[in-house]
Amino acid sequence: MSKALLKGLALTLKTFFRPPVTLEYPDEKRPVPDRFRGRPALVARADGAPRCVACGLCEKICPSLCITVVAETGPEGTRSLARYRLDLNRCSFCGLCVEACPVEAIVMSGEYELASGSREPLVLDEGRLLAAPDRPGEERP
Amino acid sequence: MNTDTLSLNLGPQHPSTHGVLRVVLELDGETVIDARPDIGFLHRGIEKLAEHRTYHQIIVLTDRLDYLAALSNNLAYVLTVEKLMDLEVPRRARYVRAALAELQRIASHLFWLGTHAHDLGAMTPLFYALREREALMDIFENLSGSRLTPSFLRVGGLAADIDERFVESVRNFTDTFQGRVDEYETLLTQNPIWRSRTKGVGVLDAGQCIRLGISGPMLRSAGVPLDLRKTQPYSCYDEFHFEIPTGKAGDVYDRYLVRIREMRESARIARQAVDGLPEGPWTAAGSPPVFPAKEDLKHNITAVIRHFGLVMEGMKPPPGEVYHAVESPRGELGFYLVSDGGPYPVRLKVRPPSFVNLQGLVKMVRGRLLADVVAVIGAVDIVLAEVDR
Amino acid sequence: MTTTDILWGVLRIVLIFSAVMGLVAYMTLMERRFLGFFQLRLGPNRVGPGGLLQPIADGIKLLFKEDMTVSHANRFWFRLAPAIALVSVLACFAVVPASPSIVVADIPVAVLYLLALSSLGVYGILLAGWSSNNKYSLLGGLRAAAQLISYEIPLALSIVGVLILAGSMSLVGIVKAQEGLWFVVKQPLGFLLFLVCVSAETNRTPFDLLECENELVAGYQTEYSSMKFGLFYMAEYAHILLASCLVSLFFLGGWNGPLLPAPLWLLGKVFFVFALFIWVRATFPRVRYDQLMGFSWKVLLPLAFVNLMVTAALTVALS
Repeated sequence: MSKALLKGLALTLKTFFRPPVTLEYPDEKRPVPDRFRGRPALVARADGAPRCVACGLCEKICPSLCITVVAETGPEGTRSLARYRLDLNRCSFCGLCVEACPVEAIVMSGEYELASGSREPLVLDEGRLLAAPDRPGEERP
Repeated sequence: MNTDTLSLNLGPQHPSTHGVLRVVLELDGETVIDARPDIGFLHRGIEKLAEHRTYHQIIVLTDRLDYLAALSNNLAYVLTVEKLMDLEVPRRARYVRAALAELQRIASHLFWLGTHAHDLGAMTPLFYALREREALMDIFENLSGSRLTPSFLRVGGLAADIDERFVESVRNFTDTFQGRVDEYETLLTQNPIWRSRTKGVGVLDAGQCIRLGISGPMLRSAGVPLDLRKTQPYSCYDEFHFEIPTGKAGDVYDRYLVRIREMRESARIARQAVDGLPEGPWTAAGSPPVFPAKEDLKHNITAVIRHFGLVMEGMKPPPGEVYHAVESPRGELGFYLVSDGGPYPVRLKVRPPSFVNLQGLVKMVRGRLLADVVAVIGAVDIVLAEVDR
Repeated sequence: MTTTDILWGVLRIVLIFSAVMGLVAYMTLMERRFLGFFQLRLGPNRVGPGGLLQPIADGIKLLFKEDMTVSHANRFWFRLAPAIALVSVLACFAVVPASPSIVVADIPVAVLYLLALSSLGVYGILLAGWSSNNKYSLLGGLRAAAQLISYEIPLALSIVGVLILAGSMSLVGIVKAQEGLWFVVKQPLGFLLFLVCVSAETNRTPFDLLECENELVAGYQTEYSSMKFGLFYMAEYAHILLASCLVSLFFLGGWNGPLLPAPLWLLGKVFFVFALFIWVRATFPRVRYDQLMGFSWKVLLPLAFVNLMVTAALTVALS
């Protein structure tokens, strides 16, 4: 009976001299995997405008109803994006919008440090959604 | 001397009620005379929400039921829809699903082990168990992009093919895992304090378990070898070799042993699944509920039309009712689905094993000590998100 | 008594007091870091180099926390309880020598004094639990009363063997008697019994039933915040320090040792004993309340008696 107690003590003592498995988070960061689902980001065309064609599929498929797409019709009758709004307060980072997008205009970026002191900065418009600092969307399949 | 009983609110904010369970205890000294569980603090109306979501969107909701075993929930749900649509899923997808479900079972049991041991005052197993759980979370993250809520399974297959590192990382994990379980056992299995805290505590015999509808490790610890992976095999489970661990006494200690041995078996299954992984498609491409490949959308107008239709109107399974259950880490997790042929289910009912298993709580704690209540709640292994839905 | 005597006395009190408080602060850090190493993590290491300023940061944090008193608490006892807990422990250090000369008062009945004062600490816990107007606190306080009183008896009995061997109740005398051979060799059973009893007396895992968070949230401390909580915390660690000192003094030869100066030897032994406590905490689950009581009365007490009888018989036979 006391042998089991001693075995336990021996194990914890052995662990004492093992290196820790934790990461000193703000100083060290884990590499973000390729498929990581961070903050959604819009992909830009070569001219800097969003690739989005304002079809509204992402808005439709979003289970948390966090995307609003407003389309406008240009002078030549072409449909284009007027306003894109994504509310991170509601977003569940499920990635269904990426799956639904027929032109690969939205991706999940590697950005995950999204804490904010108020709600307003978490409602993103197309300008902020285009800027995915650490990982440009174009590289993503 | 005239003495009164003390009614004590255990929860909803309490370190050992595993979330927001509230148990109103009637105490005589430290002896529990009566207990009344009060649930619903985490009710988010997921079943109701599902009535206004397409079948595709509901996958994301199922992640939030039992968040410690999201992939098991994904699996149970997609299997139910597939049964309703009578859909054949490629073998590769089924093998990956089985591997993921087993890894998820290990992850869930590891978290149970750590918190349960911590409830009984042993701090260290928590950290050892979480070390291995982190490795599993990394596997899920590499595969699906998310650690806790992978939403990786789709009706008809998977969300994506497995990545090249998956097989290797699962092999690495299963290679070292048995030794890690030995470590947890060193700290607990033979420890006289652990045994005295768990043996003979919270006993439910086989008859009581069956009458209450209890399933999963709790039922098996009472000696009933009922496991849906054996009795109603799904996802190619009939092609793997594994055993169903059972206990005898049906007490907290036997539940501990059953879950420990289940982890070992699950590692074996996951290993068999990745070793025998068939080549081939990872999704039932071309079948009605599956999105066309992104490549096709660029030049195939029929694919584009089908894609738009699937997103805008959703998949429309034929009218009917269907129930399908899987063996989740906590027991029989079933989805009951009623369809009228429209894009949204008319009714989605979840049979949550945590909720049913929790019904045994009052029987188990009556007449025991306050400290046993904590041990028993831990051994039921509830996830309140699943109890309250 | 001359003015110099008084000044020297005050100086010694200040010296011992500040040493104790400084040690207590750094014991909290040591415990947290050691627990970290036992559990594959680092523990607090961000405040100052290697986390060395963590205790100070904790102290400042506690001071600035809101000091709350729950409604319907018995305010008088609620405020007094932490003070009782801390003072009764600190007073014990008056008789604990760091070397033959560094001691506030080397009284001939030091052991009795220690036993008496350290049991006074229970009142702090009991009153805290009772005056908090909280059921968890009350249960914690009741457990304290039962647990501490029942462990007091085997605790006292386990040192009687040492007293017989040393022939003295003064701590300096006891250490002096160990100059040749440490009592842990002559009293192995007494040593183990004493270790178990002091870990119960100081609420260490596996006997930390008074405040075990998994059952009683925080036990008698549940309603305490700010520096009142800080006082309990200090009392707890001062108690552990006292226990580690006593184990070293009674059984490990106190300051006896070659080369190094006496206080350093004692300090080293104290940290060794404390590390032992942390190690045990990192490994074992907690016992249940009824098992704890049974263990004291049915196992420890008879063993302590056997130890006492054998020691007495051997001493008589050999003399």
